[in-house]
Amino acid sequence: MDLDAIVIGGGHTGIEASLALSRLGFETLLITQNPDVIGKMSCNPAIGGLAKGNLVREIDALGGEMAKLIDATMIQFRILNKSKGPAVQAYRAQADKTAYSLLAKWTLEREKNLHVFQDTVVDLTTDSSGRRIQGVLTERGRIFKARTVVLTTGTFMESRIFIGEYSGPSGRLGEPAAIGLGKSLRRMGFDVGRLKTGTPARALRSSLIFERMTEQPGDDEMLPFSFSDSKVNRPNVPCYITYTTAETHRIIEENIDKSPLYGGKIVGVGPRYCPSIEDKVVRFPERQRHQIFVEPEGLSTEEVYLNGISSSLPEDVQEKFLKTVPGFEKIEIVRPGYAVEYDYLNPTQLYPSLETKRIKGLFVAGQTNGTSGYEEAAAQGLMAGINAGMFLQKKPPLILSRADAYIGVLIDDLVTLGTEEPYRLFTSRAEYRLALRHDTADLRLLEKGYTAGLKGDEEKQRLQEKIQNLDEIREILKKRKVHESDTAHLSALKHHPGKSFEQALRDPLIKMKDLTALDDELAKRRTKYLKYVELDIKYEGYIKRQKEQVKRFERMEKKRIPEDFNYALAAGLSAEAREKLTKIRPLSVGQASRIQGVRPADVAVLLVLLKKGV
Amino acid sequence: MIEYLYTVEEPIAALSTPWGESAIAVIRTSGGNTLTLINRIFKPFMRRTGDAEPGNKVSPGKIRVSAKSKGSTLHYGKIIDSDSGEILDDVMLALYRAPASYTGEDSAEIFCHGSLAVITRILALLYKCGFRPAQAGEFTLRAFLNGKMDLTRAEAVNELIRSRSDKARALALNRLSGTIERKITEIKLRLVNFLSSVEVRLDYPDEDIEGEVVSEKECSSVENELKQLISSYETGRLFQEGVTAVLAGRTNAGKSTLFNLLLKEERSIVSRYHGTTRDYIEGNIVVAGIPVRVFDTAGLRKGGGPVEMEGVRRSNRVIKGADFILYLVDASFGLTEEDTDFIKSYSGSYGGKGKIIKVWNKIDLKSTGGVKAPDGFLPLSAETGTGLDKLVKRIEQTILHGTPVRPGEPVIDSIRQKELLDRTLDALRRFKRGLKRNDPLDAISVELQEAVHLLGEITGEVTSQDILNNIFSNFCVGK
Repeated sequence: MDLDAIVIGGGHTGIEASLALSRLGFETLLITQNPDVIGKMSCNPAIGGLAKGNLVREIDALGGEMAKLIDATMIQFRILNKSKGPAVQAYRAQADKTAYSLLAKWTLEREKNLHVFQDTVVDLTTDSSGRRIQGVLTERGRIFKARTVVLTTGTFMESRIFIGEYSGPSGRLGEPAAIGLGKSLRRMGFDVGRLKTGTPARALRSSLIFERMTEQPGDDEMLPFSFSDSKVNRPNVPCYITYTTAETHRIIEENIDKSPLYGGKIVGVGPRYCPSIEDKVVRFPERQRHQIFVEPEGLSTEEVYLNGISSSLPEDVQEKFLKTVPGFEKIEIVRPGYAVEYDYLNPTQLYPSLETKRIKGLFVAGQTNGTSGYEEAAAQGLMAGINAGMFLQKKPPLILSRADAYIGVLIDDLVTLGTEEPYRLFTSRAEYRLALRHDTADLRLLEKGYTAGLKGDEEKQRLQEKIQNLDEIREILKKRKVHESDTAHLSALKHHPGKSFEQALRDPLIKMKDLTALDDELAKRRTKYLKYVELDIKYEGYIKRQKEQVKRFERMEKKRIPEDFNYALAAGLSAEAREKLTKIRPLSVGQASRIQGVRPADVAVLLVLLKKGV
Repeated sequence: MIEYLYTVEEPIAALSTPWGESAIAVIRTSGGNTLTLINRIFKPFMRRTGDAEPGNKVSPGKIRVSAKSKGSTLHYGKIIDSDSGEILDDVMLALYRAPASYTGEDSAEIFCHGSLAVITRILALLYKCGFRPAQAGEFTLRAFLNGKMDLTRAEAVNELIRSRSDKARALALNRLSGTIERKITEIKLRLVNFLSSVEVRLDYPDEDIEGEVVSEKECSSVENELKQLISSYETGRLFQEGVTAVLAGRTNAGKSTLFNLLLKEERSIVSRYHGTTRDYIEGNIVVAGIPVRVFDTAGLRKGGGPVEMEGVRRSNRVIKGADFILYLVDASFGLTEEDTDFIKSYSGSYGGKGKIIKVWNKIDLKSTGGVKAPDGFLPLSAETGTGLDKLVKRIEQTILHGTPVRPGEPVIDSIRQKELLDRTLDALRRFKRGLKRNDPLDAISVELQEAVHLLGEITGEVTSQDILNNIFSNFCVGK
């Protein structure tokens, strides 16, 4: 078989990378240690959430798969932050884990040009210069050749699992680590570090007493993440909320020395935003209780996920403290919580295309780059897949800016700043959050997906219709004036006689749905479009201010720096800046300015030198 | 903040001549819509109705500076604060159209009088109407980026920018005294806490985070701290730049005698004849540690020869620019209509200062014996010095009135800092208003971010990573 591309790993990253490559027409081989765990959700059974939900919709707009997978397998849907503002509203869905994973596997299997193969990659092969990728070597001694390789090993590279005193080489509990590859990468000169993450226990649903907890139902209306799915018709299963108690905390404190984290066994750095229960108790002793979400793992299983209480304490301690939680008195644990430590590649070794600077044609994506979360992983997988495709076609890479997409923020942060703890995306990482609403993802990105070759004419047509619809609604609102008779129906309109509906809508007391009731033309329009225009108008002032900031930002992004720019010869740069710039090799002056240790004076010098060089 | 720093086209302004008293100073502006912005503050003189006439009878012309004005032209006119209608100075304005300018952008240079008061006010007006203070080396940098410099000069410019920005930073750091830096950092920290409190609620919707996002009380308290710092600028300015005082009054009211008394040296030509001082004379004294520039002006008198009229015209201009006026009335002559007219027109809101000290002079003369000083007048004999103590006391009160001078309090002393603090305060107020109106958190967070960034320009940038660090050390979130 003549291969164009190899993707190592079948997790959320590998799925997107391999689909993108094969859909661009390249013969692609996906090598996984076990095809049965393709698309497995190692941690919580949910997709989306703050910023992450936006990522999923951005992936969809560019031509990725994640939105479609969750749309077909969700068992609960909620819009988060409904009351807190347009830019931070986010979709979140509980997933049927097994269904999700099976659908992912089936999708890969049905894809033309895509081949799934079970093996473990232990080394990469390069040409004689050592600077260009040639293929991979597997555990069973097979050599596969391809012009490009995408590395998506997740938490499996040289991984170890910890539960109390126990530790062993696994990526997920019961699944072997991928041994060898981390060592090879170190040998090739890559900067490889250790990170840690953790997961809570899974329990048997029938052993819990739900009357002692608070039900957290999903929204009545289930909406699709994908812009091309028009509706979702899925079961709606509730979650439950309960809390730790003083007794829980006492038991944890009493046994803290048995934690591999506090006992010094784990050297990897864990995520602060997703702390283990041990961390929470030790770091915030004044807190009386901590929230626990009981989430269903799927429709075809009795297992539930205990979100908020990840732990690597010994199993007997886990059981003991869990039993002090209201509703958990008779808990039966199916799988204990554990911590996992793994190799990651410092992502500053990558270009914004996710190609390594060291070896041409080698792309790295996902948790291997130090991120955490399915969505962050998938987003990188998609971009690495697209850009490996661009590389094969000798086209310039697709690089999204911080003002284009959360994906842009994610990747720019990774390759410019690097990360020393598992990186998770937050909306607060985005400077231009108001411009990155989830309902604008298609407007921002679909065209790019189309140009790249992952979106078809039909989808482009749908986007045109959306744009036209939005324009028309805006036009109606502009033309329609507030009549005397309107005020009878809506007293808040009293203050806006003769003004246009658009002006009236700026009044916080007036909602779009009030106006829709007054006008037949508006009433005919789709709710999601009306909602969209409403947000645009209501927050116009803030959006405008943000747009100005974006404009200023883009000027610096447009000033390109050649990849081979010689910083050693750049007189006037501070020593620190020279070192950092040489290491990161930013592609634009904007990116350079975000590197830690590069000061305004250095940027000025850089601008002058670039001008001179031209 | 880098994106503010080196962006081209954004209108910028700065004093191009050294900061100090001089005959003429040059303020340079450059950027995309410079001409439109200049139009708002500059009114050209078209024709004069005769040089012999007093200067204020010059009619403004109809042709104004606009986006269509020709470049490489020189215009004579006045700088006017269009909000208050106040004339700040008569100036020469040089216009340059892109690319034929130093920076290669549309650009204007204002040649104004070199008094620090005038310079400060013109700069403040420019910042108010849309220019921002230029950073060190920024004009040169733009010139470079726009290809106005040939390559052989590149290295030199490179060095220049390098040394200037480093020097400017060192200067800025030096100027930030320990106390003020602590103060601003403290305010910034409180704003960062606000921002964390907002952001944690946005990024962790499922957590039960207790308490108000930001209490109005907290907000007002930071607002007050900012206000106090901003008002300290006036105090800082007082000590650094001092104030100007003008001696005014009818001819022969004893202004020069008082001037000499204050300066304790015979500088003015003192005579008993009206109209001896035909131009103005200045001298420096120190009151309560604050330098006061005292101007002795020609007396106000109608008629007189053309030379004297010119003196009166100049006096008028000095009077308009003064921080306060010592108005003398000859007690032996009594209060005339001219006196009351003057006092009325100047005790109002001229220049927003309107401070006037009324002096009932020559109480030593026999002819004034027994006539009590009218209400609000300080009795004085400039000749003998009787009443001088009380006058100095009054001067002190007038200068310090409304300025919070407390020993040990930090004082800001650069207009750039003041401008940044002003904008910070504006952003904080917009945040507070949005919070009150129940605007969504993600929208009003834009304002807080702006406030934090602005303070960051004084004491160092706050990154989103800093905010996250603050969140994780203060809130127990995550699952």
